[in-house]
Amino acid sequence: MKKRSKAQVRRDQIVGLVIFLSVWEIAARLLGNKLVLPSVSQILAALGDLIASGELITAMAESIWLLIVGLIVSTILGFVLGALVARSRTAYWMLNPYFSALFATPTIALVPLVLVWFGFGFPGRVIVVVLAAVVPIMFSVASGLRDDPKDLVDVARSFGVTGELQLLYRVRVRAALPVLLAGLRLAAGRGVVGMAVAETYLRLGGIGGLIKSYGSMFQTDYVFASILPLSLLGIAIVSVIGRIERRLHWT
Amino acid sequence: MKDSDVEVPAIQLRGVRKTFRLSEDRNAKTVLALDGIDLTIRKGEFLTIIGPSGCGKTTLLRIMASLEQHDEGEVIVEGEPVSEPGIRRAMVFQTFGLFPWKTVIDNVTFPLTVRKFPADEARNTAMKHIRRVGLERFVDAYPHQLSGGMQQRVGLARALSTGADILLMDEPFGAIDAQTRELMQEELLRIWDEERKTVIFITHDLDEAVLLADRVLLMSRGPGRVRELIDVDLPHPRFEYDVRGHENFAKVRGHIWQQLRNDLVQQREEEAS
Repeated sequence: MKKRSKAQVRRDQIVGLVIFLSVWEIAARLLGNKLVLPSVSQILAALGDLIASGELITAMAESIWLLIVGLIVSTILGFVLGALVARSRTAYWMLNPYFSALFATPTIALVPLVLVWFGFGFPGRVIVVVLAAVVPIMFSVASGLRDDPKDLVDVARSFGVTGELQLLYRVRVRAALPVLLAGLRLAAGRGVVGMAVAETYLRLGGIGGLIKSYGSMFQTDYVFASILPLSLLGIAIVSVIGRIERRLHWT
Repeated sequence: MKDSDVEVPAIQLRGVRKTFRLSEDRNAKTVLALDGIDLTIRKGEFLTIIGPSGCGKTTLLRIMASLEQHDEGEVIVEGEPVSEPGIRRAMVFQTFGLFPWKTVIDNVTFPLTVRKFPADEARNTAMKHIRRVGLERFVDAYPHQLSGGMQQRVGLARALSTGADILLMDEPFGAIDAQTRELMQEELLRIWDEERKTVIFITHDLDEAVLLADRVLLMSRGPGRVRELIDVDLPHPRFEYDVRGHENFAKVRGHIWQQLRNDLVQQREEEAS
């Protein structure tokens, strides 16, 4: 395939979107069943309604707050565990199987346990996000720090950098940053899933809560109108991290 | 000490010994890498170090840079025993050692930033040396955008901008193509001629060892020892014409090759038996 310019890609995407929405609109009108498939215009109307009532803004704020706190906790925890596992082979072989298991387990399966142990309050919901997001961060920290940039550490030392902490942040962490950010990007995607799970299965709230409650009232147009901002939130976070990644990457 | 400054050698090594453990295991076998190195390097001298591979020349240089600790003996820099890297010594690395996430200017200012020089002063000093190695058009480029020769020019500018009067160079042109290498040798000689810094330069290239040096240190291997110190009696400056045509060049080169060859042949016989 020939390489496409940015403008061409943008044009292709817009054309694709117009076709997709037209087909949807036509299919929904032909079907004439708002419960099964609301039309695009009905969804947009529902979205307008959610925005006008302030419901969406409140829900978004709640969700984003949960996501941010969850990702911060995941990052801190992931750093500590990752550094531990990178430094000690024993810790690596002891802990690795459990984290691999956690990575493979759907977060939703753990919700009942979180509910029993931590309740359905804010801490419980943060823990669901952490369970979803912590492993990729931990793995990326571990692999990023394990490839010790020996030569560059020597360079730094020879030009007067002293102390483990200085070497860690001036050289080791900086050299590992692209890997760390890739882990964070993966974690953010999984964090959005964890957030939605926490908000629908632990206690209704945020965007997840909107989807669940409109779903149980069979207001499919409002369900779609709530899913849309959730997807956009996920895309926005991942692309922001991707952008930082590209800025910090040197090749 | 002021009035006797001239006599203080740049670097003095006294009975330097170094052993390596073969693995991280406490009881692992040890190998004697350097055995009783005695060496006095004069101020402003250009010393090249050559020897068969595995003779410990890089270890010796790393000890002079205090990147590696010796087990016995003394390393004295400008009259002071040292154990930590210091601002009087600057290193140029074989694989250039540039931070890939830093631009040329940020790589060159790095040693000054670490030592808390004011930002504008660091920048001015760095720019001066970047211009000197002819890279002023590339100040904002990243290392991966530069050729090997250009990257090592950055490495050289970084070492020069520290203001160190001792340059420790570990096969700096080893990873650079032959023609660029000749050019870089000329440039280094020109810079050395202007500033008369003390240069300690490791190489495995015989021509390079003789071409650049006031003295060649020939090492022997297993363990690393000083085999011979050879004065190179060739006129300076050497960048204005090719001293390789000079009769002394052939004489010194031939002498060193004889010695090196003996070592290599002996090594091969040992390996064969």
